[in-house]
Amino acid sequence: MSSPTWDEFAELALKRITASGAEYGDIRIQDSSTEHIEGEDRRIAAIRDIKDVGFGVRVLYHGAWGFAASSVLSLEDVPRVANLAIEIARGSASVALEKVRLVPEPVHRDRVITPYRIDPFTIPLEKKTDLLLNTMETLHRQSGIARSSASLWARRDRKLFVSTEGSRVEFDLLAGQGDCTATALHEGRFASRSFNTPHLRKGYELIEEADLLREASRVAAQAIEKVKAPAVDAGQYDLVLDPEHLSLTIHESCGHPSELDRALGYEANYAGTSFLTPEKLGNFRYGSPCVNLVADNTEPETMAATGYDDDGVSCQQWDIVRNGVFVGYCTNREVASKIGESRSRGSNRADGWSSVPMVRIANIGLEPGSATVDELIADVKHGIYIEGHGSYSIDQRRYNFQFGGDAFWLIEHGRRTHMLRDVIYHGITPEFWNSCDGVADRTARDRYGFITCGKGQPGQSGWMTHAASPARFRQIHVIRGEGSA
Amino acid sequence: MTVLSGTWPKLTSAEEFRFLSDLVLTRSSADQTIVRLRDHHAGTTRFANNQVIQNVDARRGSLAVTVAFGGQQGTASTTDFTAGAIQDALARAERIARVSPVDPEYLPPPDPCLFPERATAKPETLAAGPVKRLEYANEAIGHCRMENFMAAGVVATSRTAVGIAASNGLFGYEVRGDARFSLTVQTGDATGWSAAAHRSIDHLKVQERTLAAIAKAKRGRDVCEMPAGQYPVILEPAAVAGLWAWVLWSLDAKSYTKGTSPFAGKLGQAIVDERLTLKNHPDHADLLGEGFTHDGLPSTASLWIDHGILKQLVYDRFTAKADGINPIPTLEAPALSIAGAPAQSIQDLMKNTDRAILVTNFWYIRPVNPQDLTLTGMTRDGTFLIEKGEIVSAVKNFRFHESPIRAFRHLTAWTTPMEAVNSETGKMLVPALALPHFRFSSVTRF
Repeated sequence: MSSPTWDEFAELALKRITASGAEYGDIRIQDSSTEHIEGEDRRIAAIRDIKDVGFGVRVLYHGAWGFAASSVLSLEDVPRVANLAIEIARGSASVALEKVRLVPEPVHRDRVITPYRIDPFTIPLEKKTDLLLNTMETLHRQSGIARSSASLWARRDRKLFVSTEGSRVEFDLLAGQGDCTATALHEGRFASRSFNTPHLRKGYELIEEADLLREASRVAAQAIEKVKAPAVDAGQYDLVLDPEHLSLTIHESCGHPSELDRALGYEANYAGTSFLTPEKLGNFRYGSPCVNLVADNTEPETMAATGYDDDGVSCQQWDIVRNGVFVGYCTNREVASKIGESRSRGSNRADGWSSVPMVRIANIGLEPGSATVDELIADVKHGIYIEGHGSYSIDQRRYNFQFGGDAFWLIEHGRRTHMLRDVIYHGITPEFWNSCDGVADRTARDRYGFITCGKGQPGQSGWMTHAASPARFRQIHVIRGEGSA
Repeated sequence: MTVLSGTWPKLTSAEEFRFLSDLVLTRSSADQTIVRLRDHHAGTTRFANNQVIQNVDARRGSLAVTVAFGGQQGTASTTDFTAGAIQDALARAERIARVSPVDPEYLPPPDPCLFPERATAKPETLAAGPVKRLEYANEAIGHCRMENFMAAGVVATSRTAVGIAASNGLFGYEVRGDARFSLTVQTGDATGWSAAAHRSIDHLKVQERTLAAIAKAKRGRDVCEMPAGQYPVILEPAAVAGLWAWVLWSLDAKSYTKGTSPFAGKLGQAIVDERLTLKNHPDHADLLGEGFTHDGLPSTASLWIDHGILKQLVYDRFTAKADGINPIPTLEAPALSIAGAPAQSIQDLMKNTDRAILVTNFWYIRPVNPQDLTLTGMTRDGTFLIEKGEIVSAVKNFRFHESPIRAFRHLTAWTTPMEAVNSETGKMLVPALALPHFRFSSVTRF
């Protein structure tokens, strides 16, 4: 006897949910393959080939949620897990004060496939390990490099979403990334410099186009320059931030506060709440007029562009900040009505079959302006150009933040001069974005994705992409990232 | 509600793991083979705004197969425990290993040994299901409702079958259970917090911790803003644990050897106040000790910092062999103690304080400078000004910019060690500490 199809499993679960009297239910069956190759100090330290298959059943019963999941995908376990989800939802309903009401969404029957040119899982492993070993050798060719690392990551998610409302969406999604890091030692001091391809929904062409070997030479040379660079003097500086750096700034200071579930208190015990409370919608000056932050889960190759979210809502584009004013949230079908919206923004995602979906940051990007990068720098007398990610921390309402970076150059009289080290800047989110007086044009736009955005209890990792062109911020408070600051 | 869990799903038993691992070991063509089991069943009842917002239960079983041919190694894993899927995992691992470069740091599995048997699986925790979790959540919510406060938090339980088996006869199997409770109480801008993690769900002390969080929130209603700067502080155990977690995570021996550790060159030297001692206490009933590690090494009691002197590093097996370290110490159950007479309670610590900032907890602690372990982070859920032995006001939350290596050089006073856990660190036993100097670099809006 052949094993049941995913559709047959889904039908088995949904029949139980419907028969229970629940108003809504869905099932996600997922088969994920991950290949992660990690190099460290001229050796391949780990190669992991992970197969992760399972399913999760979500039930809304009398306005309360229940969710159960299992890695045992069988004719015995699917109905048992569905029953458990129903029972848990009944338990939740017994103590519910305010009933969950889902905003409507059209029924979708669709198939979503990540377009790619080269399937990363078909590339011979030797080719990938050779690339990483050669990358690390290149890093070590530079005198003074004490440590190196390089890695490749690829993931394929095959998923079926079926709901009691009749939606049925099949997914075959791909994502990848590669990176390398050099750590330089000089007079007992050490400093690292990295190159990261963005996490994107592309095939192995992402790695081939990145040219890790060429980047490794630059990274190693800059690691040496960084470790020998003078430490920054604390003070007020104009900052010009590159797209990779801005991706983290946007993520922490705009992305998280624009999650409506946070603003409503759902994350109060862990990730925190948000200073962007609902009464600010449409009237709060978040940034200067040149700040336009747009959520776009439809842009090809980006991490949150999955066609549909885990509510079965189609991906959309909308404004979060328009001309500096806060105008939009990331929402799901549960919370959208709480700010009077009649449709979800389609930002409800789980990090796998075993997790319940929750509101996640969309692909929020900073819209390009009209200046060139050279023009942004030319108008800076005393400033710092910052590339990449470094230290980062932000308070539980997303006001007070502090960021470092991966590489820093002093700008003097409109010219990028030498590298600096130990640069840390801090500020208050709306004050910082109101100090933005220039964003570079579309030719300098770049995209960086995240796969480790932590939220929820139990914790989940969110995936999204933040695009930006370099931007300039005036008179930001910079301190030295060491104890003497 | 009729589902009591605890009986289904049934976790992989020791006998079943031996059967599954034999399926791999007898078919493997590799020089060495290791099979690892992690069969995890967990449930969480999550609440916010005084009602349940999420109620989940998930079981994930995973088998990982690692094989090696003369130093070429590969690992493949599966969540499907059918014979065909397990054999496929073995085949994938072998395929990887055959084309992998030789790893100069590869070591065969450790020799078989008898792992210590620890009380890692308390029946009351293993039996706890959604009903018990909901009962505890309701208890916390009920207390908050009576005060007209908002409760947000979780009650979570888990049970995990963990196993390791290798071609040289190494075999270990253990069931680990734990229960967790955390609660944030909100009233306007003020918040209070408390949390617990324990092998036994009966030790979560939900009522006591709920009342403590409510008391914090009440005291937080009248708030003043203090300027950033250096202050004497009293750090409650969760805040101490938050900082010490980064000390523990920075003890990597390989980084030490390569000169990229904040402790480089400091082994055998004083790194913190001479009265501080850090031990691993895997048999302590209030810690989450385990019988063996992911590498198949026995977890043992060990001394890490002795009267302020760094005695031990966190070793991978290769670096340990190179440095002649045997046995390799583990650090899953850290306990920090202080020589000398402790204060009886945090209240007593405060009574003897002329002026200080009392910190309940830190949040989003991240490294600023790995060279000197300067960290940054925010105070959270209860930050107060103490004057003349009493809390005189709540203060707006600070960002700190400080290295624990500097901060813990001098202690003013302390309590006996207490259970400590927060959302970003594992569980520890640490005292509340009064420190003469702690640098707050900026202030936030609340």
